[in-house]
Amino acid sequence: MKKALIIQQDVIILKIIEKLMQLNSYDCKAIRSISDLNIEDQTRNFDIIISEILFDGIAPLDFVYQIQEIILHKSLIIVTNMGQERIRHEIMNTNKVSGFFAVPFDLDRIQKLIA
Amino acid sequence: MEPEWERIIFWAVNLLFLIYGVSLISIYFGGIILSDRAVKRNKRRAHFLQVKDIVSATDIPSVTLIAPAYNEGLTIVENVRSLLAIQYPFYELIIVNDGSKDNSMELLIEKFDLEPRDATFITQPLPTATVNKIYRSRKQQYKQLTVIDKNNGGKADALNAGINFAHTELVLCTDADCIIEQDALIKMVRPYLEEGREEIIACGAAIGIANDSVISNGVLKELRLPKDLIPTIQVVEYIRNFLIGRMGWGEINGLMLVSGAFGMYPRTRMIEVGGFNHGTVGEDLELCFRLRMHMEKIKKPYKIVYIPETLCWTEAPTDVKILIKQRERWARGLWETLVLHRNLFLNPKYRNMGIFFFPYWCLFEFGAPVVEFLGLISFCIFWYMGLISINTAILLFLVIYLIGCIFSTISIFMYIKNFRHYTTPAQITELLLAAYLEPFVYHPILLFGQMKGYYKKIFKLNTGWGAMTRKGFNTSA
Amino acid sequence: MFTTVLFYIIKFLFFILMGTWITIGVSLMYRSRRKRHLNKIEIVFAEITSRYLYPLPGQPFDLVRANRSFRDLGIHPGKPKNVQYLIDLMIRTQRSLLGKNYEKLELLYKQIPPYRVSQKKLLSKKWHIKARGLREIYEMDQKQYIKQVIREINHENIYVRREAQIGMVVFLGWESFRFIPYLKWDMTLWQQIKIVEKLHDLYPIANLKYLRKAYNIEKPYARELIMRIIRKFELVEEIDYIIRYIDSPNFDTRETAIYCISSFQLSEKQLIRLKYKFMNIVNSEQQVQLLKYIDRISPKVDIPFYKLLLYSGNDIIKLCSAEILWGHKCIDEVEEFYYHQYSVQQQPA
Repeated sequence: MKKALIIQQDVIILKIIEKLMQLNSYDCKAIRSISDLNIEDQTRNFDIIISEILFDGIAPLDFVYQIQEIILHKSLIIVTNMGQERIRHEIMNTNKVSGFFAVPFDLDRIQKLIA
Repeated sequence: MEPEWERIIFWAVNLLFLIYGVSLISIYFGGIILSDRAVKRNKRRAHFLQVKDIVSATDIPSVTLIAPAYNEGLTIVENVRSLLAIQYPFYELIIVNDGSKDNSMELLIEKFDLEPRDATFITQPLPTATVNKIYRSRKQQYKQLTVIDKNNGGKADALNAGINFAHTELVLCTDADCIIEQDALIKMVRPYLEEGREEIIACGAAIGIANDSVISNGVLKELRLPKDLIPTIQVVEYIRNFLIGRMGWGEINGLMLVSGAFGMYPRTRMIEVGGFNHGTVGEDLELCFRLRMHMEKIKKPYKIVYIPETLCWTEAPTDVKILIKQRERWARGLWETLVLHRNLFLNPKYRNMGIFFFPYWCLFEFGAPVVEFLGLISFCIFWYMGLISINTAILLFLVIYLIGCIFSTISIFMYIKNFRHYTTPAQITELLLAAYLEPFVYHPILLFGQMKGYYKKIFKLNTGWGAMTRKGFNTSA
Repeated sequence: MFTTVLFYIIKFLFFILMGTWITIGVSLMYRSRRKRHLNKIEIVFAEITSRYLYPLPGQPFDLVRANRSFRDLGIHPGKPKNVQYLIDLMIRTQRSLLGKNYEKLELLYKQIPPYRVSQKKLLSKKWHIKARGLREIYEMDQKQYIKQVIREINHENIYVRREAQIGMVVFLGWESFRFIPYLKWDMTLWQQIKIVEKLHDLYPIANLKYLRKAYNIEKPYARELIMRIIRKFELVEEIDYIIRYIDSPNFDTRETAIYCISSFQLSEKQLIRLKYKFMNIVNSEQQVQLLKYIDRISPKVDIPFYKLLLYSGNDIIKLCSAEILWGHKCIDEVEEFYYHQYSVQQQPA
């Protein structure tokens, strides 16, 4: 079964995305912040990470760079509140992100990406 | 039997102290009512302009965060990292290295991969000490960081250098060693988004004390009360001053001070008034006076606003000597500013500022320690002359003490009711105890520091900022 | 006598102090319980909503059970604060989603509480309740109250009229521009931002007919709003409207124009017009912003233009022009200027 890591501060969005992933046959770990990650997560090779970029103590771009080193994964999708064009541009230019969705977002588009 | 004239003097002096005391208490309790109203209204307004609304919006004002640094080598990298992580989509960070003698610059250059840039063509509307080099990072993730390396000129000079190099609408001035809340910029920008007819010329927020709290990656992870009594009492003092004092004054547009450790200003207005004044150690107070005077002169409606939330955390002095130095410096700053702008006193040209707010600062902010000191002296004299009944004196003291306790208790209650800090019974009990011990343990130190500051001004004894030795925050990985 | 009075005062003050201690204790306990309860409501709502939008095989969505869960959590008309919290959660969720899920949520919200509370709020005299009601009505797409919403667009309280104006845009879209000439109060920056946002999210295809009709409105906030819309919707054909106000006598209008135009590439003709208007701008900082933009979008450096500024502008403009020329390797021109400056200073007065 494919593995997904979902990191979203908003518990409602977290649950909705979690259900979406489960429906698409993903085994999900859903957490509200990066401080809820543990040592085992670093060894799990996630197929996909769906994450916010607003975390305490770490700049958005820094997070995108650092997550590459901390957690093994195949693709990274950003779902965030801070979705200005400039931010989107910067994040996508890192070439480390498969998709960038700003609130409000269409979950069907995320579904197409993960299918 | 005492001569008649002695009795007359005794009663006259006591009457003066009574009038002064009653006026001060009335102002404090008036402040409670105003601040309660302001906090409630602020909460209601915040519902219509929430943090996540702003963080996702376009067209919001751009902000430059300016942080002067002097010999901060031990913590500079971590501080800059935490300032770079603030959650706001359009901001720049300028660190001004104010002629540090340690390895601050070397550390910054190494950790952030800085390279020097040409500053030949950058205009500097505010005169400052020589700027040696400007640095920007080669790395994409630090592209909003600028480091200015300049000759030493003091905090005000360093801030002015930062303002020169900023090109955003708003500038936020802070200290490099302060911990800033991640959503601080979003909350500080709120008033500017809702600005109507009155231009906002300065915006401040509460500063909290984070001694012995747990900091991780430059973020306050766990707020604890300080272990020592002196900083704990300062927590109570800050709560009173910021929540009651500033909020109350802000409600009637009477705010005359935005803290230098955390204040946001429109950049154009800063340049118009000439930036911070490095001729005084109270540069933050002096700037607010000048900004207000400028707006009165050009006859444009304005206000200074205050966010009733703790958005910035700092370290309070734990050592009595350092505390005295700090309060002495504040007293000198106050003296210098009031003397510099003495033309405001009862001057109707400056409307409410001249007629009410400036006189308040002269009579009560400046005058309170003087009156208290004179009160102590007159008590001693009258005691010696046998004019004082000890029982009455003790009872009077108890009345004043209980009024003070009620005032502090209400302040603490308002703070914990409206904000999420200090939520456990143990913390609240500690705060209350600190408040009740304050008149005996802390207040005399305060009075001494303030009078020392005035003494130095009277006898023209020169001291600058002095050094504040910091323990540093308790950091965890 | 005096000491007796003091004794009574001390007793009174002590009772007040005790009263504040008791208030603190009660408040602490209440808030701790309340926070736990609200967290529970949020988690249950998250569970119900996620199960409704994406029911897993073998776990179909049960509306009766969902309503019972809400009732068990105290969400019923007798507890308005709980009802209000649920409304806030519903709005928060709906605002985060687009597409089919948005419509599905609308359907769900019709079947669960909150008992028409939003409509009752419109009748309140308190500004924060009225404004909240307006917000809930447009966020939950309750179009049947559109008349009541439009009635409040000129309310004296800024929050009420702001929510009413946003509601008007949500319901009427581009057609709401018909009402802009009738607004009596200025629009704040946040009002403009929200209106542009809602228009973009809900009506992404621009209706130029209504937009162009608003061009004649003289009010500065209307101009700023239109410029922001042109920028957000990338209406290249309407750039001339922005250029018109680059040299407006109003500082904020100029600032907005300069900000908005910086998203566009201009044609040769538009660039010439912009350079002409540049000379009329009274604020040096804004001139510098505009110069940098002109430099950024120009296919080649206009040396005569920058030389003109070098010799006739104020110090700030001179410096900016020199920087631009220097950056384009026009070093001779810059050096010539500075030698000229030097020789002028050398000549006796």
